[in-house]
Amino acid sequence: MELIAKISKGSKMDQVYIPKNRIGFSAGSYVIIRPLEGKKTVEKPYLYNIKSIEPVKLEIAEEIISIIDKITENENIIITGSFLEKGFNFNDIDVMIISEGKADEEYARKSIEDSIKIKTHIILLDDKALIKGLETDPIYQMMLSRCIAKKRFIYKTKNKINYKLLDLHLLKSKSLIDNFGLLNGEEKYYLTRNMVAISLFLQNKKIDKEKVDKEIIRIFDLRDINDIKQNILDKNNFLKNYKNVYKKTFDMVMESINGPKQEKIN
Amino acid sequence: MAQNRKRLIDLFIGNISNSVMHKILEKATEDKELAGRYNKELSTSLEIAKKYREKINPVNASLPDKDIEYIKSRITNKVKNELMQRISKGYENIDLDLVEGLVNDALKDTKVV
Repeated sequence: MELIAKISKGSKMDQVYIPKNRIGFSAGSYVIIRPLEGKKTVEKPYLYNIKSIEPVKLEIAEEIISIIDKITENENIIITGSFLEKGFNFNDIDVMIISEGKADEEYARKSIEDSIKIKTHIILLDDKALIKGLETDPIYQMMLSRCIAKKRFIYKTKNKINYKLLDLHLLKSKSLIDNFGLLNGEEKYYLTRNMVAISLFLQNKKIDKEKVDKEIIRIFDLRDINDIKQNILDKNNFLKNYKNVYKKTFDMVMESINGPKQEKIN
Repeated sequence: MAQNRKRLIDLFIGNISNSVMHKILEKATEDKELAGRYNKELSTSLEIAKKYREKINPVNASLPDKDIEYIKSRITNKVKNELMQRISKGYENIDLDLVEGLVNDALKDTKVV
């Protein structure tokens, strides 16, 4: 039983009048009084390059946005990563908080995890850092090519070569060569995607997940991208191609140190 | 069996070298913000190396001196070769003096020494 009533001003004490004819709330019983908050209109988030998404994921995304909005000032909130892939085979939810102020990442992460019970990875950055990431980092471009955002955003950036950063990222993909037998399909896909995204970036191409997947299928002559994810690869053929692409990409990174075709930084 | 052990040690060396390389390149990057953002992924090679280490006997004690010498010199050479390759292309701020200390730290971390 719930009743809505107004607080009236009294001479010594204020009071809440409730109707005499009612069910429950007998005189002498204790009740809780709390303010009646009007339900806020939740703005629908923007979906970038997402053709379809499970309704429950959209609800989770809205919940995450609402939690972050309550605890920290922000310009935008972007949800990205494997959470947006079809199905529920994701490890965690990547959440970018775009804020000029200092937000407590750990508190935000804990608040979200306490509420939705899903592991969350928070990336906190300001607008300037986000633009810099988009200009210099192929993985950022790929992450933001497919996302859910609280607010609409448009970033027009030009690829800039930061050879140190690209070398650092590319090195991650080297582990596939030594550890083919130890890695599962998702790990192989992740490392291959990382390498191919860097290669495309060095060719001055804009990167999104679909373009990178298409390039992987073409380079490794796959039927579809699930051949990697499901770990059904011809080891010798795959590794031969992989080493070849790795070497070419590494050479491109090294060439960019002295003779960049694009604008170079660092 | 001996062949298998040697293979495991080689895989361990490959991954530890990769991890040490990552640390040195990370330190060579002036843009700490961008480099730091991928910190959680830097440990991938180290974690894989630990998995291989768990399969190399003795698992819970230091490896024999002969193995330690072999592993240490292979990692050091591998890392230095990779770094020299970069330096020769004009890569700036790579500090070769960091190699030995980071190799020792990694070997301690994985209970090789």
